[in-house]
Amino acid sequence: MKIIIDDRAVECEEGALLIEVMLKNSIEIPHFCYQEDLGADGNCRMCMVDIKGMKRPQIACNTFVSENLEVSTISENITEVKRSILELELLNHPVDCAICDQAGECKLQDYYMDFGLYDSHLTTAKTKKGKHIDLGSNVMLDQERCVLCTRCTRFTSNITKTGELGIIGRGDSARVGIAPGRELNNPYAMNVVELCPVGALTSKDFRFKQRVWFLDSTKSICHGCSRGCNIHVDYNETKYSDEKIHRFRARRNNKINQSFLCDYGRLSYTELNESFNGEVSHVKDLADLLKEDKKLALVSPSMSLQQLQAIKSFCKNNAIELFSLAYIDDSFGDEWLRTNDMSANFAGVKELEINYDEGKFNSSLQDAHVVINFDHKYLKNMDLNNKRVVHFATSHVDSDYELIFAIADFAHDSGTIINCDGIRQDFYATKYESSNPRLVDILEELR
Amino acid sequence: MITRIVSNNFEIPDSHTMDVALSNGRYSSLKPVFEKEPQELIDIIKASGLRGKGGGGAAAGNKWQIVSDWEGTKYVVVNADESEPGTFKDRRILSLDPHLLIEGIIATCYAVGSNTSYIYVRGEYEEFSDILQDSIDEAYEKNFLGVGAQYRVDITIHRGAGAYICGEKSALLESLEGNRGHPRLKPHSPKPEFYFNEPTLVNNVETIASVPFILENGAEAYRAYGTEKSPGTMLFGISGNITKPGIYEVEFGVSMLEYIEKVGGGVKNGKKLKAVIPGGASTPILPFEMLKEARLDYENLRDLGSALGTGGMIVMDEDASMVKALKNLLRFYHHESCGQCTPCREGTSWSDKILDRFVAKRATMEDLEMLRSVSKTMNGKTICVFAPAASGVIDGFLKHFESEFLECIV
Ligand SMILES: Cc1cc2nc3c(=O)[nH]c(=O)nc-3n(C[C@H](O)[C@H](O)[C@H](O)COP(=O)(O)O)c2cc1C
Ligand code: SF4
Ligand code: SF4
Ligand code: SF4
Ligand code: FES
Repeated sequence: MKIIIDDRAVECEEGALLIEVMLKNSIEIPHFCYQEDLGADGNCRMCMVDIKGMKRPQIACNTFVSENLEVSTISENITEVKRSILELELLNHPVDCAICDQAGECKLQDYYMDFGLYDSHLTTAKTKKGKHIDLGSNVMLDQERCVLCTRCTRFTSNITKTGELGIIGRGDSARVGIAPGRELNNPYAMNVVELCPVGALTSKDFRFKQRVWFLDSTKSICHGCSRGCNIHVDYNETKYSDEKIHRFRARRNNKINQSFLCDYGRLSYTELNESFNGEVSHVKDLADLLKEDKKLALVSPSMSLQQLQAIKSFCKNNAIELFSLAYIDDSFGDEWLRTNDMSANFAGVKELEINYDEGKFNSSLQDAHVVINFDHKYLKNMDLNNKRVVHFATSHVDSDYELIFAIADFAHDSGTIINCDGIRQDFYATKYESSNPRLVDILEELR
Repeated sequence: MITRIVSNNFEIPDSHTMDVALSNGRYSSLKPVFEKEPQELIDIIKASGLRGKGGGGAAAGNKWQIVSDWEGTKYVVVNADESEPGTFKDRRILSLDPHLLIEGIIATCYAVGSNTSYIYVRGEYEEFSDILQDSIDEAYEKNFLGVGAQYRVDITIHRGAGAYICGEKSALLESLEGNRGHPRLKPHSPKPEFYFNEPTLVNNVETIASVPFILENGAEAYRAYGTEKSPGTMLFGISGNITKPGIYEVEFGVSMLEYIEKVGGGVKNGKKLKAVIPGGASTPILPFEMLKEARLDYENLRDLGSALGTGGMIVMDEDASMVKALKNLLRFYHHESCGQCTPCREGTSWSDKILDRFVAKRATMEDLEMLRSVSKTMNGKTICVFAPAASGVIDGFLKHFESEFLECIV
């Protein structure tokens, strides 16, 4: 079926939502309240379009397409309508962009630059509302910047069903608020920061740290659990400091995480800023150690398929008995994204037929003389007395093992992992070079 | 001039008690009603041309048909949220003839196939709500309601919390479901309203109170009053600068000036009539010159650029300041906007604030332009008709009384 949008024919399905058709075809359509996962609410009135045969402009988020529908998003009339609604939206807005963290990724700014560009007509005082309200879970609210799109309240009502947030008051005193004595404390709370199209909800963890236009971004996969939520890694390098990762943002994947992340995963970026920076051992010493017998290796179930494959052949060539153990935490999983299996690639361990029999591992460990740990988190809790231990670490470790090798973490070494549902996903290295070498390169050197 | 169909028992002492009600004809329509098939009743309502008295004037029969035809557990919700300035008719029914309303609800429920009804009563109407509750209790005792009734209907009163917007039918249902009173998006094709996703009929108190007369006496008996397109009668209200403010039932189509003179006793203190807001605060004001033509029916008032609305006339005499009158109304809209839609939330507050500058006689030409432009943005771009109504009110004042606004410009 075809419809016409601004004189251009667009293929779509009968009955589809007009705004979805437009977004899919990259046709500009301003919107605050519509969000793909939350659906339409129809309150912001920014998505108005002219439809041939209709007297009044219609909202695209509540228009279902039918054959030969003719839509205009750029007619003089509709541009004026959009401008006048935007003016009202900005009327009581503080316009404190200079100190607002959303600046640079703010829809109000974008739309003003796209089709606003009017001079202020306001001759009366602005409405005052609450500023810097700490909602809990790192989320800060500025009620004056809010456009009342209800994305955040719909998220807590319809998605997490925890209902912490609501709209309080009517008319121009309507504002987002939290019930007295309650706190925004569900494990997905920080999604509201990302959902908020303006600077009304900001993250305490990120705010005032970086201007977003100074950030670079790389596609990656969260390694927090076996769900494999898709993320953007946002980072930069400044003149006087090393590269730093500033945040993870959700990256849309309708099969896995839609546009959401759990707070644990979202904040797990901090580990990536703690790479090993102590003195490392010589590869030659490891080569010597490999001459011993009774060698055992334990590999982290969060390593990529490429790393696992390299480790597997390395172990085979050097007569090392290889194991991996899943990171299981029965209190972590829930009905939604989080899984009890906190390994990023345990499905990959299984696919490569790496032994994960815990009983067998324990008995082999008792006999082993040499233990090689490929970044597995559990090893530090195990009894390693009288054993010669080699450690490959992505992040800082305290124990002094006989040999330590720092290796690049998943933000600096691209690869592939398989999630809990068997979906294979690639992640990529940031554009700055890691100070630590890739694991596969060290193993290559040992051949 | 006064006609008594709905207001028949208003002047009888203790008309709200069961004994008085029964001896004055209440519940007598139920016998003929239960002898008919529900569809026959819907057809009678359609033939009578009964139009909703809550302001919109939609054909009641069509709404009943849609609910009757829709699969599901049906609900009948009576809209008694009456909160618009100038509108005070439903409270008369609630307090002076509650049994008429209960009788109408039973008949309506039977016709559309519902066993459950809610009456959503304006928060401030505590006194009337108490009277209504006593009458409902009496009706249960007499087995007109509940398990012992010939046709089972249960009625529950739900008190609002004082928001005008909860009179808008979909906001009312949101509120009844326990949510914020936010109007819902309008459907694209004819559909009933929905209460917890079940098909629901929402009618105004007076609409339901008109039902017993029609079902007992037939469609033609109702059509004997009023005009072709606005059949029957309405509880017209009159307030403001008027000698005898009150609620008086007359048939549709009577001359407005005659109503003001003969029923309302003319403008108070012999002053000259300046303007009338014809049907509750949300209808555009009409200046005296246009009133000579004005008749109290939907079509005539629409053609004059206003609306019949709820039939609550607000009379203004020669001393009334139009700037202050508009300020008064805009304060109301500013206070009552539910705040969902951007044009309404921001538009009602801004226009109210701009009016302050006119009242203080410190306005500029730009203020007048802004008022017009804000009004334009509020019209036809929102979820419900609250904002368009506010826009119509502003436009009406500026169209007919522009000179008074220009006088406030420095
Ligand atoms: C802002 C707003 C307020 C309203 N308030 C009332 C009210 O208080 N009572 C009422 O009966 N209808 C009110 N209505 C109309 C209702 O939405 C609805 O049309 C009516 O209850 C249907 O009943 P009727 O067809 O019998 O008139 C209001 C509409 C709007 C837009
Ligand atoms: S939200 Fe922030 S960046 Fe956006 S316009 Fe407001 S102050 Fe500026
Ligand atoms: S805080 Fe943000 S997401 Fe929530 S209603 Fe306001 S603008 Fe929308
Ligand atoms: S028009 Fe006004 S009252 Fe109606 S839904 Fe929108 S904001 Fe609420
Ligand atoms: S996106 Fe359509 S009204 Fe908000």
